[in-house]
Amino acid sequence: MAINDQAHDGARVRRPRSARRSALVAVLSASALGATAVSAGVASASSRTTRAARVAHASPFLACEVTDTGGIDDRSFNASAYQGLQLAKAADPAISFKYLGSTSTSNYTPNINTFIAKKCGIIITVGFDMASATQAAAKAHPSQKFAIVDFTYTPAIKNVLALHYDTNQDGFLGGYLAAAESKTGKVGTFGGQDIPTVTVYMDGWVAGVRYYDKVNHAHVVALGWTPKKVRTAGSFAGNGLFTNDFVNQTLGKTEASTLMAQGADVIFPVAGSVGLGAAAAVKQAGAAHYMEWVDTDGCISAPQYCSLFLTSVTKGIAPSVKAATLSAAKGTFAGGNYNGTLTNGGVSLSPFHDFNATIPAKVKAALVSLKAGIISGKISTDPDSYPAG
Amino acid sequence: MRLELVGVTKRFGALVANDSVDLAVEPGEIHCLLGENGAGKSTLMNVLFGLLHADEGEIRIDGDAVTFADPGEAVRRGIGMVHQHFMLVPVFTVAENVVLGFEPTRRFGFLDHRKARADIRRLSAEFGLEVDPDATVEDLPVGVQQRVEILKALQRDARVLILDEPTAVLTPQEISALFEIMRSLGASGRSILFITHKLKEVLAVADRITVMRLGRVVGTTTPQESDESALAAMMVGRSVELVVQKGPANPGREVLRVRDLTVVDERGVVVVDHVDLEVRAGEIVALAGVQGNGQTEIVEALTGLRPLRGGSIELDGSEVAGSSPHEMIRAGVAHVPEDRQRDGLVLPMSVADNLVLDIQDSEPFARFGSRDLAAVRANAEQKLGDFDIRASSVDVAVATLSGGNQQKVVVARELSRPIKLLVASQPTRGLDVGSIEYVHRQIVAQRDRGVAVLIVSSELDEVLALGDRVVVMFRGRIMGVVDSSVDRDTIGLMMAGVVESRAATR
Amino acid sequence: MPDQPGARNPAAPAPASSDATSDATSDAAPPRPRRPWPAPLRRLVEANVAVVTFLSVFSALLLGGVLIIVTTPAVLHALANIVSSPGRALGVAGSTVGDAYSAMFTGAIFSPSSLGHAISTGHGWTATLTPISESLVSATPLILAGIGVAIGFSTGVFNIGAQGQLIAGALAALYAGFAVRLPIGIHLPIVVLAGAAGGAIAGWIPGYLKARTGAHEVITTIMLNYVMLNLLNYFLTTRPFQQPGQSNAISKTMPSTARLPHLFGSGLRVNAGLVIALVLVAAAWWFTRRSTLGFSFRVIGLNPRAGKTAGIDARRVTVLVLTISGALAGLAGMASLAGTDYFLSSGYGGNIGFNAITVALLGRNRPVGVLLAALLFGALEVGGRNMQAVTNIPIDLTSVIQALIVLFVATPVLVREIYRLRGTGDGSIQLSTSGWGG
Repeated sequence: MAINDQAHDGARVRRPRSARRSALVAVLSASALGATAVSAGVASASSRTTRAARVAHASPFLACEVTDTGGIDDRSFNASAYQGLQLAKAADPAISFKYLGSTSTSNYTPNINTFIAKKCGIIITVGFDMASATQAAAKAHPSQKFAIVDFTYTPAIKNVLALHYDTNQDGFLGGYLAAAESKTGKVGTFGGQDIPTVTVYMDGWVAGVRYYDKVNHAHVVALGWTPKKVRTAGSFAGNGLFTNDFVNQTLGKTEASTLMAQGADVIFPVAGSVGLGAAAAVKQAGAAHYMEWVDTDGCISAPQYCSLFLTSVTKGIAPSVKAATLSAAKGTFAGGNYNGTLTNGGVSLSPFHDFNATIPAKVKAALVSLKAGIISGKISTDPDSYPAG
Repeated sequence: MRLELVGVTKRFGALVANDSVDLAVEPGEIHCLLGENGAGKSTLMNVLFGLLHADEGEIRIDGDAVTFADPGEAVRRGIGMVHQHFMLVPVFTVAENVVLGFEPTRRFGFLDHRKARADIRRLSAEFGLEVDPDATVEDLPVGVQQRVEILKALQRDARVLILDEPTAVLTPQEISALFEIMRSLGASGRSILFITHKLKEVLAVADRITVMRLGRVVGTTTPQESDESALAAMMVGRSVELVVQKGPANPGREVLRVRDLTVVDERGVVVVDHVDLEVRAGEIVALAGVQGNGQTEIVEALTGLRPLRGGSIELDGSEVAGSSPHEMIRAGVAHVPEDRQRDGLVLPMSVADNLVLDIQDSEPFARFGSRDLAAVRANAEQKLGDFDIRASSVDVAVATLSGGNQQKVVVARELSRPIKLLVASQPTRGLDVGSIEYVHRQIVAQRDRGVAVLIVSSELDEVLALGDRVVVMFRGRIMGVVDSSVDRDTIGLMMAGVVESRAATR
Repeated sequence: MPDQPGARNPAAPAPASSDATSDATSDAAPPRPRRPWPAPLRRLVEANVAVVTFLSVFSALLLGGVLIIVTTPAVLHALANIVSSPGRALGVAGSTVGDAYSAMFTGAIFSPSSLGHAISTGHGWTATLTPISESLVSATPLILAGIGVAIGFSTGVFNIGAQGQLIAGALAALYAGFAVRLPIGIHLPIVVLAGAAGGAIAGWIPGYLKARTGAHEVITTIMLNYVMLNLLNYFLTTRPFQQPGQSNAISKTMPSTARLPHLFGSGLRVNAGLVIALVLVAAAWWFTRRSTLGFSFRVIGLNPRAGKTAGIDARRVTVLVLTISGALAGLAGMASLAGTDYFLSSGYGGNIGFNAITVALLGRNRPVGVLLAALLFGALEVGGRNMQAVTNIPIDLTSVIQALIVLFVATPVLVREIYRLRGTGDGSIQLSTSGWGG
């Protein structure tokens, strides 16, 4: 049969392929060619001698990502997780990787199942949206390894590594820098959706602005997010601007323009690729309008706007996904919960790039000591600790 | 200029719309092209005007073969056309409309209004086309708008003028005026091709008459050599009755009684103005008037399609004003709408479905919300026979039927349930002579069965032939009620709003 | 006498004597095929609307193949050397496209080798049937929402709000799912009805607005999509909908008594939602062809003025159509929730409501047509997933193919021109989209 022939052909030749999403495809070539020899001893340490483990042992290690509805090129957590896979491959050429996009929440389960059938060594799922699909799949396939970005399971699951990040810590630093660099005395932020992974950033950022005002007796106002006064522990409730969309750049343009019209000169969008629309608006607004990018280093993920980015408030999705993948490939994978902080480098402020020369040494020094203060626990990242500007 | 069509053939797929048509128009001649709808007149004129291209044959001007790639070229060669539906810009003045597309300009591209006005005055005087060049077209009566169309053609120096069914929208007086204009145009050496299906007009104005049937020329004659029945026979292909055969009416009880009826249109303008009207069982009341004087709205009010502003409608003594169309149907009102394709039929649906459109949800065509398709078909088979509807099957789309047969479907449906009142608007518009005859007989039969009949027609012949009493409307009001034996001129004047109800006999 | 009314024969197929049709034909340029097919074959081909649809699908897959070729660097590289090694270049191009489509097929229908294995060993039936089961799962909400949209379209009502109605149905079904505790025999029917009711209410609103105020349903339904989307986001962070212990926008899960049972064991996700969808296809067929209400819907859709004159209440029809259409979309939302997902989150529904519009157009608003179109779209989506997993060609290609199919179906003239068919004027989807101005 024709289909059999082609399947055969595919197995024999293993032509190199690459994903069409050009923005993110760095190296994706010769995925299987000659990789077999390298992986020989990698999986031997694995305690489980399941079928999946044996497959991983005999052939190259396959790492797979299921994106949420934002898509692989959201320039946010889906993209960062994918970048993590690329980094993992760079570190260990025996690793190959694939991804599947989701257009609807209904795609999560079939996408995960497709990858289970494809014998992926580890499946990376992205976002709390996929938490229950991941949990169900992990339960049904106890030998399949998973990592989920931006979620924590209580109780932890043995074959799922849940990656969570305290982004209010670096958000705090970003807020401080924004306040320090503002000439108008107003800075603004908006989110993609009123959900904790977004508002935790905004909370920390607003806290940073308030802290700046307190220690410098300044009156910089943060627009776009007002943390709730009385909150239950661990929640990030409040009122703010949200696009309810992580894709539509027009919305980002609108929100950024709104904030700038009210005087804000530093914009911090926490909305994935919607932020690109904000960048376009900031660029249009001209000189003395800046931005801070979120999740990844904007000068790498959106270099066309690098000249606008004071810094980026990043969360180390890529490194932690890389680490998870490598551990799975080596057989040292352990499930449970991981928490990224300034201490372990799981969250951080990116380099200043174009602004390295313009940001005063005093501000840079303040940021360094702030970081130390947060790590030691002396400085709170809770906005309620400081008077609202 | 002598215009000749030689062996013109035009096919649309398998359909031959024009089959080697020969036609010659001499200079200064008023040449009538007579034929039923669908005989191929309009196709022929579109070929002549460059809108369609003949598959075979040629057009000759003064003996030279010419081809028109588009209407512009036809205009440049001296052919002018006045369409059935005017091509005027309502908010422009007469002068602006006349020069539109051929504007005389001064230096720097400014419109030369003075020249345009002068041209119009000159042409008006020459041919008796009385028009104020500065009037806005939308303010003018239809007859005058038509003059503007003619002026447009003359301003472009037309030597042959094609008038496509020009009298459909005119009052009798306006028609006479148009004929005068046509004669003076002929006297100036211009030729006129006058397209119509109305026999009286042909005999009144033509120098020569060419009759078409089924895409072919069946003969050429003159008014002197011919008469109405001879022309009708040529058109239809057999001899036809031109007079409605009906006995005297026996009016009975008052079925419809309308008092003080007032209706407004979508813009809130009063279009039916305190009208009183009654129709008795066993009589035909004809509502006469030029189109657009409120007849349509009266009918819509009577059938529940349009809300009333005021007044009452009693059917057999009970008030029905404000009822829905559905309730009116159930109350025994039958309605043959003026535009059967727009209001009477669902063209893509089958003949069978169209025959039960208003009663499909009642026995025997449906039970418990489920349609009985066998009953629907059986009903259709029977109606096809009873009403002589020519269709290849009851399942074909009603769109494939000829206009006459479509109208028969509507009439058959409306008459197939017990009714008290039949309201028929323009019941024979666009029908061939044979179908007109048939529909008229059906209407008279209903009257004789004791149904009260109200017909609305803009055809004076029909009004006089069918009506036992004639109610004339002008601008939403009743101008008077006359006996159908009254002379045409009186009714014509009433239709024009000149005579108040002096002639009333009631 | 009436038995000889004239020499004309209107019964003849050529409408020579019809004033309406002769007007129409005089405007149309006569179609002239360049290389007509042999007459008998041509008649066969032209008689069938399905042929145009089939050719549209075929053409779209062909163009999809071209797209694969021009976006795969390896193929382009091989093609660059086409002069020196033409065999290799064409081989690479052919096998790349072949691999992609065979991955699509095995992912959506079945894999021959897996089937062979299952037949010979008797094991692995679940794995063999998973692709077809997934395709059916994916098609189920499309069938339901597609029928709803189609009923609207064929009545001249443009319900662009299936997405919002779907969310409304899902929310109602979810509430019915977690709010009460009942045995499955009672609970599940309540969940199903709640889904229909939620959608029906969301459909009734634009219907009522149109009937009462004349507000165009295209606008109101589109706007209600946004309302429902944001309402969903709101509910997901609000008690009682939000999952306890979660601060994320995620709902409670459906209890087992509120879940549509799997049809062929827990290994295959195909569930009773499909049965509901198929029953409603049959019901919709009966409704449009046999019921008096469906008849009046069709009349209003084809000629509202004639419908009014015949005593049909067009306003009532509008309200009913949108309510029924919404109920079906609501069932679609319920089917995904109670059949496979068991919880709601902010991206719920994806593009189902909008794909339903496409499916309705492709199925030419006929229930069986919608069923087939939905199965095709479901299979394309599931197959596309496998294609991406196997060959790394993005699943987005399937959206392109879906769009191309509709593009070809919408322009039958183009298809006829490409394949040298003679035009019959029918088989287009123009009818279903006439009346936008209304």
